[in-house]
Amino acid sequence: MSLRRIAREPLLHFLLIGLALFALFDRSETAAGPERRIVVGQAEVTGLSRSFQATWNRLPTEAEIDGLVDWYVREEILYRKGVELGLDRDDPVIKRRVRQKMDVMLEESLDAVPPTDVELEEYLQANADEFSLPATVSFTQVYLGAPEATRAASALASQARAALALGKDPAELGQPTLLPASQERAPVDVVSRDFGPGFAERLQRLAVGEWSGPVSSAFGEHLVRIDERTAAVLPPLDAVRARVTREWELERRARTADSGYGKLREQYDVVVDVDRASMRIGAVASGAVRAERR
Amino acid sequence: MYARLHGCRRRNHALGLANAATLWLACTSAVTVAATPGAPEVFAAVKPGSGSGNYSPYAGRSYPTRPYFGDTHLHTAASLDAGAFGARLSPRDAYVFAKGNEVKTSTGQQARLSRPLDFLVVADHSDGMGLFPLLLKGSSEVLADPQGRKWFDMIKSGRGGAAAMEIISSFGAGTISPAIMPMPGTANYRNAWEETITAAEEANDPGRFTAFIGFEWTSNTGGNNLHRNVLFRDDGTKARTVEPYTTQSPLGSDNPVDLWKWMDAYERKTGGNVLAIAHNGNLSNGRMFPMVEAFGKPVDRQYVENRARWERLYEVTQTKGDGEAHPFLSPNDEFANFERWDRGNLDGSVAKTKDMLEFEYARSAFKNGLRLEHKLGFNPYKFGLVGSSDAHTGLAAMEEDNFFGKTTPQEPNPERIKETFVEDPRTGVKIMDWEVSASGYAAVWATDNTREALFDAMERRETYATTGSRMVVRFFGGWDFTAADAATRSPADVGYAKGVPMGADLPTAPGGKAPTFLVAAMKDAMGANLDRIQVVKGWLDENGNAHEQVYDVAWGDADTRKRDAGGKVPPVGSTVDVANATWTNTIGDPELIACWKDPSFDPQRRAFYYARVLEIPTPRWPAYDAKRFGIQPLPGTAMTLQERAYTSPIWYTPR
Repeated sequence: MSLRRIAREPLLHFLLIGLALFALFDRSETAAGPERRIVVGQAEVTGLSRSFQATWNRLPTEAEIDGLVDWYVREEILYRKGVELGLDRDDPVIKRRVRQKMDVMLEESLDAVPPTDVELEEYLQANADEFSLPATVSFTQVYLGAPEATRAASALASQARAALALGKDPAELGQPTLLPASQERAPVDVVSRDFGPGFAERLQRLAVGEWSGPVSSAFGEHLVRIDERTAAVLPPLDAVRARVTREWELERRARTADSGYGKLREQYDVVVDVDRASMRIGAVASGAVRAERR
Repeated sequence: MYARLHGCRRRNHALGLANAATLWLACTSAVTVAATPGAPEVFAAVKPGSGSGNYSPYAGRSYPTRPYFGDTHLHTAASLDAGAFGARLSPRDAYVFAKGNEVKTSTGQQARLSRPLDFLVVADHSDGMGLFPLLLKGSSEVLADPQGRKWFDMIKSGRGGAAAMEIISSFGAGTISPAIMPMPGTANYRNAWEETITAAEEANDPGRFTAFIGFEWTSNTGGNNLHRNVLFRDDGTKARTVEPYTTQSPLGSDNPVDLWKWMDAYERKTGGNVLAIAHNGNLSNGRMFPMVEAFGKPVDRQYVENRARWERLYEVTQTKGDGEAHPFLSPNDEFANFERWDRGNLDGSVAKTKDMLEFEYARSAFKNGLRLEHKLGFNPYKFGLVGSSDAHTGLAAMEEDNFFGKTTPQEPNPERIKETFVEDPRTGVKIMDWEVSASGYAAVWATDNTREALFDAMERRETYATTGSRMVVRFFGGWDFTAADAATRSPADVGYAKGVPMGADLPTAPGGKAPTFLVAAMKDAMGANLDRIQVVKGWLDENGNAHEQVYDVAWGDADTRKRDAGGKVPPVGSTVDVANATWTNTIGDPELIACWKDPSFDPQRRAFYYARVLEIPTPRWPAYDAKRFGIQPLPGTAMTLQERAYTSPIWYTPR
């Protein structure tokens, strides 16, 4: 691009005019102190009227608009003067509010480009545990009775085994129970919920297709035949796309905010100078902390 | 046929009942199926009732095969009072926790359930929904308002508890500044509702976990609890078309009749479905189950029909006490005195008087429902039963050994068994934190773990309440159950084939027959053995007076534990070591089943029947606290309990 063409570029003209204006105002401000001009335009009035409406469910009257404007002007003047006097410093409320605005800015600071399939696929693989469908087990069981009746149970076990060897229907053997006689592709966590902790893990050790046991559950002893086992499956991205996208998004926001903060943190020199012993005494007032110390 | 009975005045008979022992005739005998040492029969004589023509006994089976456990009533930081008390968990966190994941609680502790729940309803208070997150954020409209600013400063300066009390009493008095109160129509209210919906939509995982959309409508005028939780069968598309109904006029109303109108309008507008579940009649001071008038209007045909239409379930047990029965109303029921909160209304501003009790407890409401049906031709109190937590922590953690309290200050800490929950010096009403109950859950016999299937099961009342246990309970009524049915391999097959499940109506009485019931229970896979199964019967006599009777129908250790001379089954005993907070499953049985026939049936008289199942005694949550924190409880602290389940009734109506 030649120099002449650059000189003809309208954008440059704009920039130059802007710069000139900026310099002008800057000088006038330094001369007259901080900005003393308050303009209440259509945008301000619309905003005031909208928040009035949100509270009262109707539009403000003319008189009320006048009142709102007076209120707005008063707030603006007191706010500016207050800031000028440094009243915003050391106020925890204002500090928190400004910090929240910064948090939001940090989270949003990267341009929000939607994730690509490759990124989502990577995220899915990296968090396979969270998105996998659980392992399942199909099995048939014969309930031999409560745990304390061990001797009776072992007698029942050998009788039931003999009957099974003769081809008897397992659903008619052993003790009646509300436990399911068989389960088809039941997620292993559900099996543990039904039969008690550890039962599903015990089933994992049994051979497929033959009667094993007795196996202990929370209810007593069982003969068990594993009919089928399926491993945990990571579903294809399309089946869980919405969830993966959501989690990916949440993680990106957190990461972006953290790295943004990290960069800011580098610009500060932080000195922590406290007596830790005295802090701990103060913390004893909280029950939870005391509980932890026990 | 009602005309004859109309003129009868109500008389106060004492329960005109013969000794239960002489009436007890369990079909022929109760059968318990727990391993009986030396049982001669290994091979069952009874074939499972398949009856479908299929070889596979499981093919064509369409009835519910497992109960789903959940909580229909959980608050998060979005509830005004929960937030004020320090809850910081969001609806999203609440679902994450209910699914069995570990979370950090509002007091910074790590918490996890022993096993996931199957479903959850985050039911935040509609009035002021989202106010607290707004206060915490210190948004400009909150800080611009003197009241908002004051509360914000109180919370920031560590006086959140005092702020909470002020916020709650200002809410009760209707003096929260309109500038900060999120109300229907405001952006803040819309945002809070949107967050609730989004959390449920994200957590809902059909087949694995159901996240219902819901809210609590918290009518509390004068401190009298008339609260209802509203559940949506629908997804966010429909729920977004409305904003939760509130109690403050002019946009809302504290009268349940107006809530029902709102529900009706929602259904008409969207073609969706909602239901309401009331709770804590025990804190309503005689207003939960009215008989004569409600809100200045007579309890008439229109009231009773609407109530029955919209309120198919009642939350009978929760952290603020148990509402099945009261010893004053049921003096012959030795198990009626359970987790009792009967000193006043919700804020303790009015003390309880005995005349209120009749209109507060579920069993009494079932009886009065029969009376109203007799009078008006319709029964408003034909509701099923569920338990839920009403926890204000975002944590549906109602296990005695893993109890995360009702409110955030009651999350585990060494002081919680000594603190005061409610105290009003003017009325003398005082309730201690140790009286807070680690209860309960809702069990739903649904065909699948989806919003639709669970909701439909709730509508047909195929539910039972538990006080935190996950025991399995089946209850069927019919005319032809026999002792042999209690020996079957699959009680559900025969139960559905020959009868109706909990929550249903008995079909018309065949001449000369009395109703029979097949009832079975199996202990929580991680919990205590069972003490006994009871059937509670209530009925109207020829004069229109209501009566009740509790029957023991099956119990553990039956080979050595016999009825005493008075016909009562003796207590099961206790293995609880309070000092160490332990117990053993060496008494009671893991499973019980029985067939029971009503020994005093009169086909002319209305009646209802429900089952109550008791566990053997186990340590109550303060026992775990005392052990783990090494502290002495206050004198009088209840340290053991018998967890229990209450099924929805089965009703009999003469034709």
